Amino acid sequence: MSENNDTSGVIERRNLMKIGAAVGAAGLLASPRQVWAASGAPVKIGMLDPRTGTYAGNGGDEIRGAKMATDQINGAGGMLGRPLQLVVEDSQGLPGPAISKAQKLVSQDKVDFLIGSVSSAVSEALSQFAQQKKILYVDTGGHADDVTGTKCAWTTFRTCSTTWMLTSGDFGTLFKKFGKKWFFITPDYSFGHALERDYTAQLKQAGGMSVGNALAPLGTSDFSSYLIRARAANPDVLICLSAGDDLVNLLKQAVQFGIDKRMAVAGALQEMEVLEALPKQALLGWWTMEWYWNQPGVPHVAEFVDAYKKQFGGKVPTARVWFGFVSVHAIAMATAKAQSLDTLKVVKALEGLELPPEIALQPGKCYYRAEDHQMIANMFPGHVPPDATYPNLFEVANVVPEAQIAQSPQAAGCHMTYPS
Amino acid sequence: MSTMIRGVAASPPRRSAIGRREIASGLIWLLLLLVPLWLPAIGGYTDLATRILIYGMAATGLNLLLGQTGGLSFGHAAYFGLGTYGTGLFLIHVVPSLPLAIIAGTLLGGIAAVLVGPMVMKRRGIYFSMITIAFGQMFYFVAVRWNGLTGGEDGLTGFSRVPLHIGSRSVALGSTGYYYLVFGLFALVMLVVWQILRSPLGHGFVAARENATRLRFLGVAVERQIWASFAISGFIVGLAGSLDSLLVNFTSPANFQWQLSGEFVVMCVLGGMRSFWGPFLGAVIFIGAQDYLSSVTQNWMSLIGLIFVLSVLFFPNGLLGFIRGRARA
Repeated sequence: MSENNDTSGVIERRNLMKIGAAVGAAGLLASPRQVWAASGAPVKIGMLDPRTGTYAGNGGDEIRGAKMATDQINGAGGMLGRPLQLVVEDSQGLPGPAISKAQKLVSQDKVDFLIGSVSSAVSEALSQFAQQKKILYVDTGGHADDVTGTKCAWTTFRTCSTTWMLTSGDFGTLFKKFGKKWFFITPDYSFGHALERDYTAQLKQAGGMSVGNALAPLGTSDFSSYLIRARAANPDVLICLSAGDDLVNLLKQAVQFGIDKRMAVAGALQEMEVLEALPKQALLGWWTMEWYWNQPGVPHVAEFVDAYKKQFGGKVPTARVWFGFVSVHAIAMATAKAQSLDTLKVVKALEGLELPPEIALQPGKCYYRAEDHQMIANMFPGHVPPDATYPNLFEVANVVPEAQIAQSPQAAGCHMTYPS
Repeated sequence: MSTMIRGVAASPPRRSAIGRREIASGLIWLLLLLVPLWLPAIGGYTDLATRILIYGMAATGLNLLLGQTGGLSFGHAAYFGLGTYGTGLFLIHVVPSLPLAIIAGTLLGGIAAVLVGPMVMKRRGIYFSMITIAFGQMFYFVAVRWNGLTGGEDGLTGFSRVPLHIGSRSVALGSTGYYYLVFGLFALVMLVVWQILRSPLGHGFVAARENATRLRFLGVAVERQIWASFAISGFIVGLAGSLDSLLVNFTSPANFQWQLSGEFVVMCVLGGMRSFWGPFLGAVIFIGAQDYLSSVTQNWMSLIGLIFVLSVLFFPNGLLGFIRGRARA
């Protein structure tokens, strides 16, 4: 570098001005930070949910539910007398980006709590992250048993059900109704693996058998090879364990292949987001919903549905909306009970916390089980009626209290340890 | 021989450029050194700067092959991914030691590049790119399918940034501490790359890019030059991967995917493939924009695409190439 040192290294004035201008521009680009009065500094909940990718539809509904709860809490005086702010980030439904965003929420936005996730893989990654950062994380919608089972963490709570509940909610019905030879199409990550494992365990016990399991990667758009395998295996029932846009594609193609004429089509988790996106001929099958908007005779549900419709353009709320709604309200109730934002105190307050009927929005007792932090509510197994039109896309056969079907914390493998 | 090659390679000596360059480099190092002081003040956070350094390191490593040697690799995420998994698995299954885990990750990525190199070095142009993609995807599917070891699509959890042991003291690395560890390794990598570019080896890389036929007539084994470049860039990208896994205490098959390889290439092109600091600048813009835009709008990917298209249209030599061209005019 020293070979042509013939000119002295002076910065010309013009260049200096350019540098100055660049520094100034950088200052302008940086986001303007909101300034709050010290007493009214907001309590922040960081929400990580997919706004892009396979699970974007589900993520959007969880966010809407959480927003609705945030508005209600702010309307009623905020959280501990301070305004509540929901900071939403796009997780893309993938664990890697989700962790980066969680890091941003904790270090830059300094959020007090984390909620969110549709994918179980994201839930597991976020659960580990939150435990390392000693921050409360409420898993809204990642179902794999592990999250409140073998990988349970003192900082993690879960609002949606477990894969075990999803499978045992309708296993008996499917087995009695359709027969003992089952074929699975399973999304190739923790959620799918857990569902398949749980169904197979119950199937073996009941004397049935699994005649095949096709693992489809998350984000698969062409299911033909898996459907050909399913047809060749000739089972009594095809169990579709995919979710989100993947399940939409799978069901559309299953109908195109004429699968529904040869065997029953069923599965564990079904959601309004999926049914809404399906064409009429692909609206079929036996499934389980985790919450349903149409519950005649149950107090507060109709009011909730109306309020949601008014706020969000006439659509009915889905189970995902309920997850977001409940998760935010639960945190608010726990902070009020603990009179603190301290993680351990809020965790202790959330343990065993029972939802009041206007938030539970279903019959019976709904609470976060103290031993493993799992929400115990109800399952809504049923089927898609032949003349299904929006919003009547599902017929609930019966409401199953999860307390009857949930694994005990010991059986799920949770050994909770707290910081000393 | 080296003078002849230098004649082909080096850009014409510019007057007054050296002083300005030294000051610019000095400024960059000073800014990087003081990141934890000024970044939070303009609304950033230290982990973001760490991520930028890591991706800047990876892009600089790739650029040794892409910009200097002229090999367009669309598969460098493979070595990044191997770096992440190498470090994670080492921490879980072997010993919880930070330096050893980083070395393990770097070696895994680098050795894979050494092994893959001979299979790609004979091809040029589009065939070179296709083979690198193929190898990249091969590693990706191994990571997805080998559930027992890698955790499949769920990614690898269960390891964390263990405290660093210096003598008998144990130092826990927080955000700032880890930033300086990465900063030190980044400086080391930049120094190594700088030295390589000044050495006959580096001039050989440029010669292979500019005129492989002539180099061959001179009796130089061009393939070996490309292999060397491929391997060195593999080690650097592997190190970057290893550091990335420790930043988030997590890794997933996304770190193997061709999209990530593409992002590395975009960073190089955005900043300027022919400049020393170009790939790093590209990483600053790319990671910065990604971090900021993805919080503002869900259509952030379109905006990133737009930035890339505009920069290719208006700054074909990258941002640094453009600035330098203006400065020369």
